[in-house]
Amino acid sequence: MSALKGKPFVILAALALCAASAVAWSTGVLPGFGSWPLCLGALGAGVVLACGWACCCDRHSQGELLILQRYLHALDQLEPHHLLDSVNGPDLPPLPRGSPWRELAGRVKATFAKSAGRLEDLQQARTALEIRCQRATRQYERIKAILAGVSDPIIAIDHYDELLLANPAAEALFRFDASGAEKRAIAQLVRCQKLVDLLTTSGRRKSTASRSEEIEIADDNGRAQWYRVSAVKLPASGGGETQDASPASGAVAVLRDIGAQKALQKRNAEFVSSVSHEMKTPLAGIKAYVELLVDGDAEDEATREEFLNVISSQADRLQRLVENLLNLARIEAGVVQVNKQSRPLNEILEEAVHVVQPSAEAKEIKLTTDLSPLYLGVLADRDMLLQAAINLLSNAIKYTPQGGQVTLRSRLSDDQALFEVEDTGVGLSEEDCQHVFEKFYRVKKDEKMASGTGLGLPLAKHIVEDVHGGRLTLQSKLGVGSTFTVTLPKVGQMG
Amino acid sequence: MTKRIILCDDEIHILRAAEFKLKRAGYEVTIASDGQEAWERIKVQPPDILVTDCQMPRLDGLGLIRRVRENPATRHLPILMLTAKGYELPSEELARQWNVMGVIPKPFSPRELLQTVEKILGGARQGEPTASPVMAPAEPAALVGAVMPRAAGASECATEYATERGASRAATL
Repeated sequence: MSALKGKPFVILAALALCAASAVAWSTGVLPGFGSWPLCLGALGAGVVLACGWACCCDRHSQGELLILQRYLHALDQLEPHHLLDSVNGPDLPPLPRGSPWRELAGRVKATFAKSAGRLEDLQQARTALEIRCQRATRQYERIKAILAGVSDPIIAIDHYDELLLANPAAEALFRFDASGAEKRAIAQLVRCQKLVDLLTTSGRRKSTASRSEEIEIADDNGRAQWYRVSAVKLPASGGGETQDASPASGAVAVLRDIGAQKALQKRNAEFVSSVSHEMKTPLAGIKAYVELLVDGDAEDEATREEFLNVISSQADRLQRLVENLLNLARIEAGVVQVNKQSRPLNEILEEAVHVVQPSAEAKEIKLTTDLSPLYLGVLADRDMLLQAAINLLSNAIKYTPQGGQVTLRSRLSDDQALFEVEDTGVGLSEEDCQHVFEKFYRVKKDEKMASGTGLGLPLAKHIVEDVHGGRLTLQSKLGVGSTFTVTLPKVGQMG
Repeated sequence: MTKRIILCDDEIHILRAAEFKLKRAGYEVTIASDGQEAWERIKVQPPDILVTDCQMPRLDGLGLIRRVRENPATRHLPILMLTAKGYELPSEELARQWNVMGVIPKPFSPRELLQTVEKILGGARQGEPTASPVMAPAEPAALVGAVMPRAAGASECATEYATERGASRAATL
């Protein structure tokens, strides 16, 4: 802008020169200046000078504007971080020292630099936030996956008793889709009032201890399943949401399926009931006859003897029952010392035959053995395996009518030691086959055929399978006969 | 006319003991080893009293009682139950629902059975005196043999009979 300042002065000087020339020409002061072409020339020269100077100045200021324009353009093109690059400095065309734009350009650059700095800071903050957000999302997904992997249904409600979270197991149990059901009242989603009450009251309690209840929940087939439900109050979430001074704070409940436990309880209760019934029967006989004797109702020796025999046989029956029960209980409880040694199977079988022979003869039943000539070694507790074999043989004899046949075979089968007891007895129906290994199970129609505790087969099965790692299977045809087969690992291979 | 009793139990020794005692007291006793057999006998000739076990093959005690009550000819037949499952069949409920006059738990006492039968039927023969006073046959529902199940370890059994008059008798063994 100094050009603009200089301009009027130059023009003034040029004009002064012209005026001086004119005066000199008109007055003839300066010799040589009397001729008018000279003066005209001087005038013209003055004008040209003046114009030339003006042009120069103009060009000069235009040049400065151009420089400024270029400077600003370059500034505009710069990336923010270039502006902040203090090492290399921004790549800007320099402004000449005397330029009137220099200060302004400097201020503009400073403002830009400040904005660039702030932008840089914001971007860094945003990146940091993004990373935190991703990390939080990943953690959330991980926790969701963990909850999904938990097979126990989990339900959480917030302090408005609305659904907060439900894992897939809970969705399946109560048949709703958690992603669509958030914020819906829990009472609408879970059709089990006791569970809803447990959740809502847990949320309202002061105590943070968990509460547990057994609740029956019906699935969509209407079948009721028992669950043990533990519910605990959720800690109040910090910040805005709970500042409305609501007393509740949400709760979470975990459901554990205790169907198996309940079934076991029921089976145990049934077992106890069966045992007591089984024991009362021989006891009833004993008591009744003792009383008859005491009351003097047996008036002759024969009757007295009859009564005493009954008392004796019933006492025996009771004793057998107690022994079998205790045996079974002790084996199942793991109390019995199992003494396994490598033995020849055939030896044990022969002894079993020896034990049951008299009862077979009493019923004129043909008891035959067909034992393998091979050495069948088994890792067995002699007494237990003997008991199992006796139970099977004894059953076969009991349930085969007079004159029938019972065969005991042993052989090597698929690298296992096998023995089977086949009879020509009454056989078992398909349904009975399924129950026959249950404690105290006795086929109703055959109960008359033989006295039994209903424990022989369960005991045999337990000995063969649980103690020796073998298998006891049954094949039977009603009215034709049955075959009980036992397979045991040969010595050297334990199941 | 001798009073007739039908005894029904799948345990042969129980049957024989009860039969022996009752026959000695002069009653006419018919035995059956399951509910079906008992029902056949009842149809042929209804007895004066039925004594039956609970758990039996073919037709169990409750099934038999139901048939007896549904048949108009035997609707008012006095029934006594003999059972090892005393604590699972509350006698009050049985009495109310099926008009069972008494529940005697097993192991049972033949003496007690005889006393109970005599209470209901009177003597074996019409007009014969018995050890205990006769209850009027018109009040079977009032005679609730509330024989409580034996508590574990209890050695005595108390039998109580409540009448409309509120008098109660206890017979201890």
